[in-house]
Amino acid sequence: MRSLQRTAAAAQGGLASRALVVSRREMLAGGIGAGALIALPDLSTPGASPAASAGSGSRYVLLYGTPESRPFPGGSVAAALSPVAKSRRLPAPKSVAAKLAAAPVSSPDQSSVALITVDNVPAGAKVTLTLVDATSAVVEKQGSLTITGIPDGTNILPTPVFAPGTATIAVVLAITEPSDRRLVSKKDPHRGAPVPMHAVTWTSHHALAYFDSRSGSFAGPFHLGNAPALALTTVAANHSDLFLWTTAEPRPGHPGKSRPRRAPLPWLSVFPLGSGRARASVPSPAPWPGGEPVATLANSDVARLVNGRTVQVSSAVTGEVTQVTIDALNVIRAKPSAVTMQSRPDGTVFITKPGIGRAVIADPAEEFRVKAEVSFPVPAVPLGAPSGKAVLSPSGETLYVLGGAKAGGLSAYDVASGALTASYSHGTTYSGLYQLPAGTLLAVSAANPRLTFFSPALSLLGTADTSLQISAVF
Amino acid sequence: MAGYDTAGQIQDTYVSARDEFGEGPAFWIRYFSPSPAADIFSDNAVAESQGAWASGGHYVGPVSAPYQSNLSGSTAQGQADAQTYAASMLSAYYAVVPLLLPSNNRLYCWLDQEYSTSLSLDYLDGWAGYLANYNFAGLGTYPLYPCLYCDPGSPYPNCSTMAEARGLNVPAAVWSSEPEPCGSLKNPPTEGAEHCATVPTRLWQYGEQGACGYSANVDLDVGTPGFFMPSFCFSLRSDP
Repeated sequence: MRSLQRTAAAAQGGLASRALVVSRREMLAGGIGAGALIALPDLSTPGASPAASAGSGSRYVLLYGTPESRPFPGGSVAAALSPVAKSRRLPAPKSVAAKLAAAPVSSPDQSSVALITVDNVPAGAKVTLTLVDATSAVVEKQGSLTITGIPDGTNILPTPVFAPGTATIAVVLAITEPSDRRLVSKKDPHRGAPVPMHAVTWTSHHALAYFDSRSGSFAGPFHLGNAPALALTTVAANHSDLFLWTTAEPRPGHPGKSRPRRAPLPWLSVFPLGSGRARASVPSPAPWPGGEPVATLANSDVARLVNGRTVQVSSAVTGEVTQVTIDALNVIRAKPSAVTMQSRPDGTVFITKPGIGRAVIADPAEEFRVKAEVSFPVPAVPLGAPSGKAVLSPSGETLYVLGGAKAGGLSAYDVASGALTASYSHGTTYSGLYQLPAGTLLAVSAANPRLTFFSPALSLLGTADTSLQISAVF
Repeated sequence: MAGYDTAGQIQDTYVSARDEFGEGPAFWIRYFSPSPAADIFSDNAVAESQGAWASGGHYVGPVSAPYQSNLSGSTAQGQADAQTYAASMLSAYYAVVPLLLPSNNRLYCWLDQEYSTSLSLDYLDGWAGYLANYNFAGLGTYPLYPCLYCDPGSPYPNCSTMAEARGLNVPAAVWSSEPEPCGSLKNPPTEGAEHCATVPTRLWQYGEQGACGYSANVDLDVGTPGFFMPSFCFSLRSDP
């Protein structure tokens, strides 16, 4: 992925830079950004064929990860035809580009994907957001802003978030600047003898920017002046506001350490979309933000899932946080689990915790009462990337999940009864599972063929090779 | 001299572990931020330290399990994850007066790379470089050492990524998750941990709860020959 490492050198060229000015023709030829774009026709359409893959029934899937070629920079792009016959082996996706500044983000309705790059320019750092139509893989809009007044070596970590029901994509920029470069002494890790080392002090703050997907223009950046802060944030949005969890960076106190000092709490600020001034700021219970699932609820409140079992809900009106622990998920194991949380059209949320072999549908309107619960054997890789291990069919009637550690393959469960209804296993252990909008299931493997496609009835549709080690699917 | 790692809180874990394995551990390894699906040591550092003291394991090593897709990311992502990790350790250090740095000033800080997660060189550079440069508590001793928990035999990049790293960004040690012969706390295996070509394996997770059928919420770990894990952990001077 591309991050900003601003140096005296001019902006680097190459595939990633070309991605910033990609034309619609280039986009159709292969795509942009980090990951692979793969054409998938609507397999429910009778007579679908590879030749029709760019037709009305086609759809692109963005795969994000690390190329298997050394030295393993983040990301690449590829394109391939989709499966049309059982067990057909598909052409390998073609690598097209590399290095995005952050993982792609899908719109709430999955119709668009936002990609962000950061480039060095003489004035500072140029942040570019490219909005891609997920169905046609055509660039819808593209816009840039420039961060100025930053020293060489500054790192910028962008986090985009779609505001549902609006044309706004908010972007939180964590800007980390170096200072106080100095020569110090540090012990050699193996022998313990002191060795000289160049040290740097890093200080982070945040800025906000807002991308208008109709005009392709940015508002901002609005610098928050919150240094020193931890760069990691958690971000969510509803139709009117951006919700931003941040943490003040704890700084060294007196070296004697004679009295205990409490850890800082995270802070939740609510910004009207388009604004850099918070209308509400409240303390939030621990833990600190950084990677936990978030979801915008039907009533516009925002929820984040912490410690793999507790939902913290921030009021859309005041920002104030309440929390509830979901008993069905309150199971501790020695190893943490990947967890996911998604809002559903009926107002419920779908939560998975594969490390304990469980998925639930909970109702935020009833303090997250569990309306359905399915238990399944713990898959072989419950924590490693990609994070998708279990998916819910659009109807909410069927849960698809990676097979248990011993059997591998895939399994399907009836959500109402929790009963196993189908399974497929031929000795392969998959590491990730996703359901595409047409209903096709995509399972991800460690080795080629890394992409295996199944029908909703768990019939094998086809496979594809890729040189990408997949860490996320969008 | 084996110890435990756990995603649960020590005070909620040590009794069942002692009941199952018959004695206390030589050390604990606990999760620090960012570990979005685990209980965080620094969120309840005093109670965790009291639990560690009561367990007889007076040494606590840190591990961080960021959102795993992050590990395929950029230098900025790696730096941001490391910044929160260092801050989480500093917060625990300040919250518990008798919690001290190791006397040799070498605190091994583990990054959890799970099987099926790819480690990019950009991420490793940002993550390891930040920790190695961190002036912990303003002491001027720079005691944090980046280390990697991983499966060296995984087809996903880890050993090969470390082989590309340079200088301070080279992890000091590997904590190998394979193989898993299981066994007990009292008589851990001594040889056989998997290793990478360029970074030595110093710690071995020889028993994992799920694979080995342990009822207590712990995995079992032991230092490889010649490596004394407690010397590279936070130490508790007294009961907090």
